[in-house]
Amino acid sequence: MKQVDSISGQELREMFVAATTWLEKSASDVDALNVFPVPDGDTGTNMLLTMRSSMEEAYRAPDRSASAVAQAMAKGALIGARGNSGVILSQIWRGLAQGLQEKKSFVGSDLADALQQASIMAYQGLSNPVEGTMLTVIREASSAAQAQVATGSSDLISVMQAIVSTAKESVANTPSLLPVLREAGVVDAGGQGLYTILEGALYYLRGEVEQMQLRKPWMIASSVPLAARTPQMLTVEEVPYGYCTNFLLKGEGLDPDKLRLKLAKKGLSLIVVGDDSTIRVHIHALDPGKILHYVAPLGTLHEISIRNMDEQYQDFLKMQKEGIPATDIAIIAVVSGDGLTEVFRSLGAAAIVLGGQTMNPSTKELLQAVESVVSDKVIILPNNKNIVLTAGQVQSLTEKKVEVVPTETIPQGVAALLAFDFEADFETNTQIMKKTRSTVKSIEITRAVRSTQLGKLSIKKKQAIGFLDGDLVAVGDNTTDVLNEALARLGLEEAEVVTIYYGADTEAAEAERVSASIREQNPQLQIEVIRGGQPHYNYIVSVE
Amino acid sequence: MTVKIVTDSVADLPPEVVQELGITVVPLNVRFGEKVYRDGIDLTAEQFYERLKHSQILPVTSVPSPATFAEAYDKLAEETDEILAIILSSKLSGTCEVALQSIGLMKRKCRVEVIDSQSAIMGEGLVAITAARAAQAGASLDEVKDIAQRNVKRVEFRAAFDTLEYLKRGGRIGAAQALLGSVLKINPIIMIKDGVVHPAGRERSRTKAIDHLCHFAMGYAHIEEMAIEDATTPDDAEMLAERLSVKFPKERIYRSKTSPVIGTHTGPHILIVSVLGDSE
Repeated sequence: MKQVDSISGQELREMFVAATTWLEKSASDVDALNVFPVPDGDTGTNMLLTMRSSMEEAYRAPDRSASAVAQAMAKGALIGARGNSGVILSQIWRGLAQGLQEKKSFVGSDLADALQQASIMAYQGLSNPVEGTMLTVIREASSAAQAQVATGSSDLISVMQAIVSTAKESVANTPSLLPVLREAGVVDAGGQGLYTILEGALYYLRGEVEQMQLRKPWMIASSVPLAARTPQMLTVEEVPYGYCTNFLLKGEGLDPDKLRLKLAKKGLSLIVVGDDSTIRVHIHALDPGKILHYVAPLGTLHEISIRNMDEQYQDFLKMQKEGIPATDIAIIAVVSGDGLTEVFRSLGAAAIVLGGQTMNPSTKELLQAVESVVSDKVIILPNNKNIVLTAGQVQSLTEKKVEVVPTETIPQGVAALLAFDFEADFETNTQIMKKTRSTVKSIEITRAVRSTQLGKLSIKKKQAIGFLDGDLVAVGDNTTDVLNEALARLGLEEAEVVTIYYGADTEAAEAERVSASIREQNPQLQIEVIRGGQPHYNYIVSVE
Repeated sequence: MTVKIVTDSVADLPPEVVQELGITVVPLNVRFGEKVYRDGIDLTAEQFYERLKHSQILPVTSVPSPATFAEAYDKLAEETDEILAIILSSKLSGTCEVALQSIGLMKRKCRVEVIDSQSAIMGEGLVAITAARAAQAGASLDEVKDIAQRNVKRVEFRAAFDTLEYLKRGGRIGAAQALLGSVLKINPIIMIKDGVVHPAGRERSRTKAIDHLCHFAMGYAHIEEMAIEDATTPDDAEMLAERLSVKFPKERIYRSKTSPVIGTHTGPHILIVSVLGDSE
């Protein structure tokens, strides 16, 4: 097997130029992984731009020593760091440069030491290092490098090989450390990016630069299966216990590895990083006092922080709940027609009970819906005059808190639902929704089921009839004419928004013609035509 | 020595206010493809929204480099020994982290404190303005910091969107995702609570959305500062200012343009009113 015993500054530069080119090939794939800390999908590109800035500066190094090139790389990364991942990457190069200080060229053990320095610097750079990210990857990779050197086979390729294969496992394992990754079913984007850079460096050392042109970096698959995004997940997750204990230990002749071994048995999630004068410790322990008691004689303690994790976990749960707004209030709407059902669903109704004119749901059906939703507080929108009373009966039949906002038409129901305030409590919301109900006018167009005389209006069976807020206002043979008459009765001068829901028996083209004629006469209006799919009613129109 | 105030470009401070109060604005970055622009420096709001209309590539944003902050600190350290940086919500961006980290990279000696405004746009801007005024009046760093921290809790805004597509794509939609997916056309109203985007309402038209912003500001018992900003709809902003002038002197309302970095996440029809005050 090929061996490389030592490389110069110039080779160091060429190695990371190759690695940057390698990263470039998968930058957009890395972008797609990005969910932490903010799912904005730019980690790969940010790392690439940071690397480019780093390499540009590397060409400006004052001489060709490894030390000078590494310093220049660190400087370039610092100036050009983009995004969180770029900032951490710049810390890594800074640590690497410190590790290679005053070296004209370097060997495998130097690389291992420099990488450890890089890992420490990466952690030190962040006020709140999160595991399951590129931090974990650099830390585990650097430990692997140390272990490889300890085996005695410490040429650069062997060391880099150990780094890359550990980094790969580390990336695959990130979802088991960071729940947000597990939920999204992805590995950490920054970790993947860092792995790709290290892998590119390895290919360079192996002399496979030409082959790299034909290949593309591997995207690492998660080692844990994708978790379903369900609220129940929160309860089955392992609950952390004890105290999250952090401190900085300063002294002389400290031994981080020895300390790590000593502390390993005293708690969980242990992180010990540092050198012989400064060690940072992070551990989850049941008795933090014991930990401090143990380390105090070794040096001086700084930045001691002990937090109760059960409290932290409760805060986390609370935060998770707050992230899903208003799950504590469910809204149930009585609706018929697939289009209208979709309208109510898309505005956040938790359950739909099928019903409306001539098909009033029973109290039992409404009760079942109330019991079926997860929330303890339920608001019912009956959306029909004849269902309001039935809905009111549910209150006495359930343990849950139920309020009926007595909407008598579909437009009233939509207006009430739109007014739902995600930040307000149950009582306030009931009030807001009741109040908003009356800000909208409803027109309903249907067919007479029998001949009758109503006031001055004589109606024949199957004629089109128009209601304005429940009152009969227009009769005629032509549906469109009746609708126009009802609209004229209402007057559209003051209106802003007209929404036309056309029924199951009405053609979309006819609805569009109606809309066009209203728009022609009232150019100031915002008109929306939606397929409601409701039976019996050719048109339900909301005027706001 | 006078305490110097640093903020980021997302605070959307009007240029004349920056000048008058001697505030240092550190730019975030907007990227179209691989071309990176410094927010408000290499790319003005006008240029950006024009570009947003025609560009095939959608822009993305990124935090300032640590060096940018360190340079800004060092420059101020020539004339002061106390700096307060007021930065956008750490739950929306890593800028706060960078602002903190950059302190360690400074060449000069100077005390620097960083405050998470838990807000953005002029919500953050009003905190920076009031802090800068206190600093000008001779308050110490601890005093200015105290004022800023109190004002972080007293500032709120409502932003009227035409669409949440940009916010969703940028990954910052937070709890406001409850407003997505409506079959009906809605104009979403957004707020920031505890540093995260939350839904504040949904209206059926732009006019009603503007009414919503108006009612929000009118509901205050006491208003100390107010700001109105828009991206490409100055007429709407003017109308809102006119309507609110019965509540707060119009000439005291800060007016500004939403920065490209924010515009990347809001789209061109954003209209925002920010209030620093007390509701009771």
